Amino acid sequence: MSISLATPKPESLRRYPYRSKASIIFGVLITICAIGMLQSVMRNPNFGWDVVALYLTAPVILKGILVTLQLTVVCMVIGIGIGIVLAAMGQSNAMPVRAVAAAFVWFFRGTPLLIQLIFWFNLSALFPDLSVSVPFGPELFSIDPNALITPFFAAVLGLSLNEGAYMAEVIRGGLLGVGKGQTEAAQALGMKPLKLMMVVVLPQALRIIIPPTGNQTLGMLKNTSLVSVLAVSELLHSAQIIYSRNYETIPLLVVACIWYLVMTTLLSGIQFLVERKFKKSDRSSSRRGLIPESESVDTGLLPQPTDGPSLQTRTAS
Amino acid sequence: MNQTVASTPLINATKIVKRFGDHVVLKGIDFSVRSGEVSCIVGASGSGKSTLLRCLNALEKLTSGEVWIDDEMIGWRATKNGYVELSPGALARQRAKVGMVFQEFNLFPHMTALMNIMKAPMAVKNEPRAVVEERARRLLDRVGLSDHANHYPAQLSGGQQQRIAIARALAMEPKVLLFDEPTSALDPELVNEVLTVMQDLAQEGMTMVVVTHEIGFAREVADSLTFMDKGQVVESGNPREMIADPQHRRTKDFLSMVL
Repeated sequence: MSISLATPKPESLRRYPYRSKASIIFGVLITICAIGMLQSVMRNPNFGWDVVALYLTAPVILKGILVTLQLTVVCMVIGIGIGIVLAAMGQSNAMPVRAVAAAFVWFFRGTPLLIQLIFWFNLSALFPDLSVSVPFGPELFSIDPNALITPFFAAVLGLSLNEGAYMAEVIRGGLLGVGKGQTEAAQALGMKPLKLMMVVVLPQALRIIIPPTGNQTLGMLKNTSLVSVLAVSELLHSAQIIYSRNYETIPLLVVACIWYLVMTTLLSGIQFLVERKFKKSDRSSSRRGLIPESESVDTGLLPQPTDGPSLQTRTAS
Repeated sequence: MNQTVASTPLINATKIVKRFGDHVVLKGIDFSVRSGEVSCIVGASGSGKSTLLRCLNALEKLTSGEVWIDDEMIGWRATKNGYVELSPGALARQRAKVGMVFQEFNLFPHMTALMNIMKAPMAVKNEPRAVVEERARRLLDRVGLSDHANHYPAQLSGGQQQRIAIARALAMEPKVLLFDEPTSALDPELVNEVLTVMQDLAQEGMTMVVVTHEIGFAREVADSLTFMDKGQVVESGNPREMIADPQHRRTKDFLSMVL
């Protein structure tokens, strides 16, 4: 029954976590493969790394980056705006309003973005002259669609409307994620629908909406490359302009990729910081129940209902 | 027991029918509460007692019947061709006069306890912040949670959350408070702190309608007791008499199970 004195105390013994042999072998293999691939890419003259270095910070490329960022920001902002309106319309009591929202999402999610962009660009072919007039009455003003739909405008139009359809779904998911009890509590307090939305539902939905919105922004940044077909001088089109003259196609595409990676990495970092900030302020995610220090504050000075005359509810019989 | 019960009803519900699809939850209920009265509703789960309570502030839409609170028809406007549903704005104005406490508390998780109490008077009644904060702190004191003003709901126990929820409802200075099984989601040791707050309110003359399983509370505090079963009122009257000597067999069976 006695324990040997030579046995060390359990807490003084070191503990070794389990390591699988497979993970060690796999790790070594992956490292070897990665080094091999990197070497073959770096040594391959066809990648033209000297050309990459030459054009990495060329003024045309830098201007292209600026246009890409502009498009991303402008189209995301408009897209989120459209998404909020569509999501609100989707919750409307009026059937026609819901139908309009559903039709919008159905169309813009259901057709390729590239085709949408080309469509907007060629709007003048569909409607050779755009005019606003009173039905059966005089024409108020008319505009030449060729002047109105510049490549940049077509790009913003296409990207924003498409984004709006996706953001509508993201926001709808966020609104549905806020419990029915929250709405009922706010209703019982006499809040009107708009107040209820702004004060109670939207702030809570935001936490659900933010992570997928980060993903959408990353997607938007890359999708802006599609508008190169409209000859908008964003990053990809700028690279294309250069290689159409010097035929250094691959090195310039590498330049574009490097910059896209830099921008998406930065965006991911921002997304991480924003999400962490929201997680921090999200008290609702912590467990329901007493936190010890809040309980210790409770004792003493103030009369507690628990200390008061208690009802004989439990002993009633 | 409340001494200041008025003779005219503050709440008057007549011939209430509520149907969910083919299922009739309330089968023509008459129910009234006088000003200053504490009225308890008991019954097995599925008897329709919570639905009746939710009809009183139009969280449930009536299939037929009328609910009147303070000489105002709730949720609908009677015309010569029938009942017309009120706009969300008009409904909100009516609900502002009727406080409600939920089984699951439903505090706003993104606001502190203090802001939970202050938000509605500021957002709905546009009362000045200083006035509302003063009242909110007084209410916090009244429910014994003055030192928890800056806690978030997740940092509070169930009993504390429910007391905040009562303070939140009181901040709107309602004419009547509806309680939907306020202690059913609580651990047993936290039930009394909530019931004590409710008893204090009753003694101060608050008009209260309480759906509950706490027969002891009903006997000690309520002025009237209503027993519901299968969408109908089986028996109602003085709580002490009813509990001591139930007239109806179904009441007897129910009481024998919960006591």
